[in-house]
Amino acid sequence: MSNPIRDEFRAGLARGDLLIQKCNDCGKVNMYPRHACPYCQSLSLGWHKSTGIGVLHSFTVLRAGAPEGFEADLPYALGVVKLDEGVQLLARLVPDPDGNWQSYQCDARVQFRPVAPESATPRPCAWFEPSAG
Amino acid sequence: MADTWPLHIDANAPNDPVFVGVGELPSGRYPERNFIGDLTHVGLLALADARMVPRDVDTILLIPCLHSPFDQADLIFSRMAEELGLLGHLKSSFMVHSGGSTSDNAVRLASGLIASGHARTVLVLHCERWGSADLNAMVTMLSKYGIPNEWEAPTGLQFNAIGALITRRYMHATQSSAADMASFCVTLRKWAQLNPNAMYRGKPLTVEKVLASKVVADPLHALECPMLADGAVAFVMTSAENAKVRGLDTVRVAGSGGSVSHYSVGQEPDLAALGWATAARRAYEQSGWGPKDAQIAQIYDTYAAVTTIAVEGLGFCKPGEGARWFASGAADPGGKMPCNTNGGMLSAGHTGVGGGTALLVEGVRQLLGRAGPERQVTDVQRCIVGGTGGSYMDAQVLLLERRTKGRPS
Repeated sequence: MSNPIRDEFRAGLARGDLLIQKCNDCGKVNMYPRHACPYCQSLSLGWHKSTGIGVLHSFTVLRAGAPEGFEADLPYALGVVKLDEGVQLLARLVPDPDGNWQSYQCDARVQFRPVAPESATPRPCAWFEPSAG
Repeated sequence: MADTWPLHIDANAPNDPVFVGVGELPSGRYPERNFIGDLTHVGLLALADARMVPRDVDTILLIPCLHSPFDQADLIFSRMAEELGLLGHLKSSFMVHSGGSTSDNAVRLASGLIASGHARTVLVLHCERWGSADLNAMVTMLSKYGIPNEWEAPTGLQFNAIGALITRRYMHATQSSAADMASFCVTLRKWAQLNPNAMYRGKPLTVEKVLASKVVADPLHALECPMLADGAVAFVMTSAENAKVRGLDTVRVAGSGGSVSHYSVGQEPDLAALGWATAARRAYEQSGWGPKDAQIAQIYDTYAAVTTIAVEGLGFCKPGEGARWFASGAADPGGKMPCNTNGGMLSAGHTGVGGGTALLVEGVRQLLGRAGPERQVTDVQRCIVGGTGGSYMDAQVLLLERRTKGRPS
């Protein structure tokens, strides 16, 4: 099914960019991308490349009961990230070097981690890691 | 513009919509039962409880099943009119659906139909066959329902992970301990020991046992997650005038409030608050009630944090104290504010969209004084019912009040 906003968002991920939607009329950013601006209802919507910096609102490590097609990924971590631009999204979290996620804390700073285009294709979602800054 | 307004009907109006009967079949794994059979039997139980027969019903509302789209289609396309012998008699039959909050919305809808005269007597039916369904197929289905396909499905999100995201944030925001969270499950299990229809009757639980079970989605342990169950519940609503003519005790809806706070779990601004404070304020403003005006509560409980957040929003305890409030025994049998007196979804069984309906039915049953000698709470006049659907997208509050022969009792 044709869905340009989905495809453009995913093309951004494959290029290593986290795109957030920005209204060409009122200038407000919003996530997830919409078909009309939720603030002014404009149909003229564009993209803004996020700095990829934000805080981790919450996270979990799923250890059992993966959805179909995700069984081999277990265990894996998911988090809700509040970006500094004022929008938020659900993302995967990069494991620590020991393969666990002990370094993650609620309200800690996290940053977007670009992944290789081949990884972004089967799993078109954003990845985050603890902030270096 | 004000976001609350009064009910346009008062308690003494002849068209005030009221509950007059409930029915339920045991929850758990019942492969020997079947979908249409259970719907038929539970409907007849609810009608008998209301001292009615099928031909007293003019409208049937169906609460959806999730185990099969084909069985769900039978709900959409009036099969129960045929099964109950109502062809040519029934005015209307249709399905209502907002996931876990369906029962709250079904009550609003039935109330509106009755108050306006579009219906006089409404039978609301639910049956789920999750306990006997293929578990892997249900996990896959539940990983696609209520999760935005474009934005969140690619992460591998599923239902326990959603519960875990809420639980983690709640524990962080309130500094609640793992033992505090587990104590909620123990409270429910105590109630389940008193409910012959509960899946986990005869299976006591301790905090230690919960915390010793394996972690499935940090910080959630396996025994903090609901078990999919077969089950069936039904209730009957009619006009106060019709109930009076028939000499029936009733339960009226004193008010309701709701708040839709997200669709995608990743778009919830505060996973430790959700929509509960707004929903509660709206319900209290509509009814003139406060949290101290009810004696019991029945609140959706797929995960402890879902309910601890709700009781904080509803004002049963101070903000941030919900888990410790449950740990204190406040909601236990004999506690100052009994909650989820059927054992809730975590101990009576998660019957899908019907889990919230079973809680609603338990509230009505308690108000009618029909909860049986083991778990009937004494002197119950008012009950607060709370529901939520999808990825806890909404908070819905119904305020229910007992009437005896049309009067407060």
